Amino acid sequence: MAPQDDKLWYKDAVIYQLHVRTFCDSDGNGVGDFRGLTNKLDYLQELGINAIWLLPFYPSPLRDDGYDIADYTSVNPTYGTIEDFKTFLNAAHARKLRVITELVVNHTSDQHPWFQEARSSRDNPKRDWYVWSDTDDKYKGVRIIFIDTEMSNWSWDPISKTYYWHRFFSHQPDLNYDNPAVKEAVWEVMKFWLDIGVDGFRLDAVPYLVEREGTSCENLPETHTVIKELRARLDDSYPGKMLLAEANMWPADVRDYFGQGDGDEFHMAFHFPLMPRMFMAVKLEDRKPIIEILEQTPQIPEKCQWCVFLRNHDELTLEMVTDIERDYMYDSFANDKTMRINLGIRRRLAPLLENDRRRIELLNGLLLSMPGTPIIYYGDEIGMGDNVYLGDRNGVRTPMQWNGGWNAGFSSSDPERLYSPLISNPVYGYQSVNVEAQRRTEHSLLSWTKSVIQTRNSFRVFSRGSIDFLSPSNHRVLAYVRQLGEEKVLVVNNLSSSAQAVELNLQSFKGHIPIEMFGRNLFPRIGELPYLLTLAPYQFFWFRLRRI
Amino acid sequence: MADESLLSEDLLRQLMSVGEADLLVAIPTYNNAGTIAQAIQSIEDSYQQNFVRDRVAILNVDGGSSDQTQQIIANLNGKKDSIRRGITSLRTVHRITTQYGRSPSQGSALKVVFSAADLLRVKACAVVSPATTSLDPAWAANLLRPAYRQDFAFVAPLYSRSKFQGLLARNLLYPMSRAVFGVRIREMYADEWGFSGRLASECGSQPMDEAVRARPEAWMAVNAICNGMKCSQSYLGPRTTVPTGGPDIVETIRQTVGNLFYCCDAFQDHWLDRNGTESVQTFGADHELTPEDAPPRPDKSFELFRNGFQTLQDAVLKSILAKDTLVQLKQIAAMDIDKFDFPSELWVRVLYDFAAAYHRTAISRDHILQALVPLYRGQLFSFLADHAQSTPEEMEANTEALCLEFERQKPYLIERWKAKS
Repeated sequence: MAPQDDKLWYKDAVIYQLHVRTFCDSDGNGVGDFRGLTNKLDYLQELGINAIWLLPFYPSPLRDDGYDIADYTSVNPTYGTIEDFKTFLNAAHARKLRVITELVVNHTSDQHPWFQEARSSRDNPKRDWYVWSDTDDKYKGVRIIFIDTEMSNWSWDPISKTYYWHRFFSHQPDLNYDNPAVKEAVWEVMKFWLDIGVDGFRLDAVPYLVEREGTSCENLPETHTVIKELRARLDDSYPGKMLLAEANMWPADVRDYFGQGDGDEFHMAFHFPLMPRMFMAVKLEDRKPIIEILEQTPQIPEKCQWCVFLRNHDELTLEMVTDIERDYMYDSFANDKTMRINLGIRRRLAPLLENDRRRIELLNGLLLSMPGTPIIYYGDEIGMGDNVYLGDRNGVRTPMQWNGGWNAGFSSSDPERLYSPLISNPVYGYQSVNVEAQRRTEHSLLSWTKSVIQTRNSFRVFSRGSIDFLSPSNHRVLAYVRQLGEEKVLVVNNLSSSAQAVELNLQSFKGHIPIEMFGRNLFPRIGELPYLLTLAPYQFFWFRLRRI
Repeated sequence: MADESLLSEDLLRQLMSVGEADLLVAIPTYNNAGTIAQAIQSIEDSYQQNFVRDRVAILNVDGGSSDQTQQIIANLNGKKDSIRRGITSLRTVHRITTQYGRSPSQGSALKVVFSAADLLRVKACAVVSPATTSLDPAWAANLLRPAYRQDFAFVAPLYSRSKFQGLLARNLLYPMSRAVFGVRIREMYADEWGFSGRLASECGSQPMDEAVRARPEAWMAVNAICNGMKCSQSYLGPRTTVPTGGPDIVETIRQTVGNLFYCCDAFQDHWLDRNGTESVQTFGADHELTPEDAPPRPDKSFELFRNGFQTLQDAVLKSILAKDTLVQLKQIAAMDIDKFDFPSELWVRVLYDFAAAYHRTAISRDHILQALVPLYRGQLFSFLADHAQSTPEEMEANTEALCLEFERQKPYLIERWKAKS
């Protein structure tokens, strides 16, 4: 295992993503808080994850789930105090859990003092901290991201009687990165949290930092310059800290965000296009979508890493698929139009997979065995459901289900006071899907998830090894070999709903013995002939290949 | 069930890898190195453009090519699909290749196709010819769709023909098959056609007689009709092929008319009591005729007709034709070339006499078919003389009149069919 001071710790991490509000309420006000989260750290340690990614917990009007930050350097009082945060952080570190926080630096809330000052008059010193225009004609043709709610990237400010630029909601004005004072202010924010001890930042919406006329205002060289500057300052003052990019782009476009040489921008970036294709591959029972996107994925610097995930707090985004693929995904996973939002599907993992345990395991198996640092979204380890009728993406942000008792063990408040209704339907309701119940059974999804994470964590080949895809003629089988030095792992996945036979060309491993990694059973030695395996529906194998 | 014993181990292995498929396009090859790559690309494009969500496969069945056909296919299989951010199939487009023998036989190839279709549980199949140089991605789609989406069992092609193309079909195969089986399929004998998985299973479970092996598509169509399945036609456009010389007229008649006579015999229970004809649903444009500058030269057709008739009339034709028919033939054979005319009424009776003789096996069936050749030459000579200057519309009107004559005289066929001799 990587030592705690390993500067490449993020490559070996298994990240658990959560929102403080959703996890555990310690004071009975119906909203999760840092004290509640701290109380649940043993659970996370037991699960086997080694990093926590916290969604925004800052003071905010909460019109975009906290991504509309009104104060970068304090904690939303509903979730606790800065001292509570420090206590949580220390407790996490004591358990060898890293903490990654969210940094939304493309925009602020319109309630942020910076914006309040900026809009107060045209000659206010903070005026130039945002992007203003007397007309809404500038940057014509730049796409609107939230097409369901926004008509333009410009909004009229009735106070200063000008337009301000926003790539997301109109209550989220974009910061002006052409102003050095803004860059300095953002660095000060980062320093604030780094000094407290956070281990890294997930930077939201990074492609949109800088605007230029006649461009898409995305991925501009000037944006990369801003990031390089921040990274250089980070490396100088806080070595070992990590930056993770949210850039919902094609891999070739995201590649630039790792920077040049050893990587002088982000340490990690999400691999957005892979995610829908994992679902698609299992639905189609064909490995083609996964192979195709990974073949399009460029090499990245040695010290960098992709972040892979199945589900998160947002919709299952379908921006990085073709129109045909998007239609297929909608038809397959969101037949009911209520499930669709923006260009995506607002559903959790288990409902997306019709609560089919075999498919849930298969997809998690893929997630944990493919190259990249995996992220597990809170509640998916127990198969929590969703509620698409809660508006926006709130249906996948319901309280964590700890037990079958009062408010699912999440809060002692009156149920009416909870920040969100609990999932309570007969299939996914907290009475049947909860941590306590699953802890009791060896074969629960939770127990299985612990086991598979433990196995992954035991072999660094999963986090740092190379990948070579095999090309068996059976297209329903996705097989690959991960290799790191002498450590070799063969992964074979049956993507289909029926039993499959597959012949693998393992000539380069002739003489090796495959050892199944969960049961530690020996399989026949690899010889001259193609290696024959049979797999049950949606079954997968992880084999260590050992020359004994 | 299909006869799985036909399948080689290698083919079985490939089919296992495909598992189940919705659509299968088969391409039987024999020394098609010049066009096979383009044909496979066209089918793949058809899948990529029209069936992006479906489970699809291309099956190449080779009759023992001695040129580069197999190597070209192998190279194509090794090439990875290009990655495009446009219209592209969501699933793997499978390519299956197999060899069924050391000499080409459309029937043997089709038996392999039936078995593969059965094992893959395909919903619709199409067969396309690698010799067709005008193969367009729309073709495979147009042949597959009616069977896949609309429950049609057999999908015949409709080509845009020049006036003097397909004269055997125009003057014999179409009108007679229409009159006998009661279904108006314009191109029952074609190198491209589509069919349902159900029809593949039905045909795969039957023995395929030697008489239909060269042109099994028409046998499939008749099978569909006689099993109460729906047939349709899809317009494909103009068809051009690699010039190969092709079989001579004797062999052509053996393959096509022999096939038709065999089907008349094998499916007699279906048509003997059936009257009238039904049109079939046509997708796309209807049968199209394009003007042609000059008709083909009949060359020695008249001479060959007259000599052939004189040689065969006593030894062979006497055993085949009714007395009146023979008398009338003698009369026209004695005409001067300038005044020669082969009336439609007589032509229909000749064919019905031949079909009945084939049914009774009055003499060797192959001799019967060979004896038809000079008579067909006579009819062809007469037709070309009459229609050298005809417009496409006039040609079509003539064909329709001939069809009606075949239908009008169907009772004569039945009478001759049931006669002892």
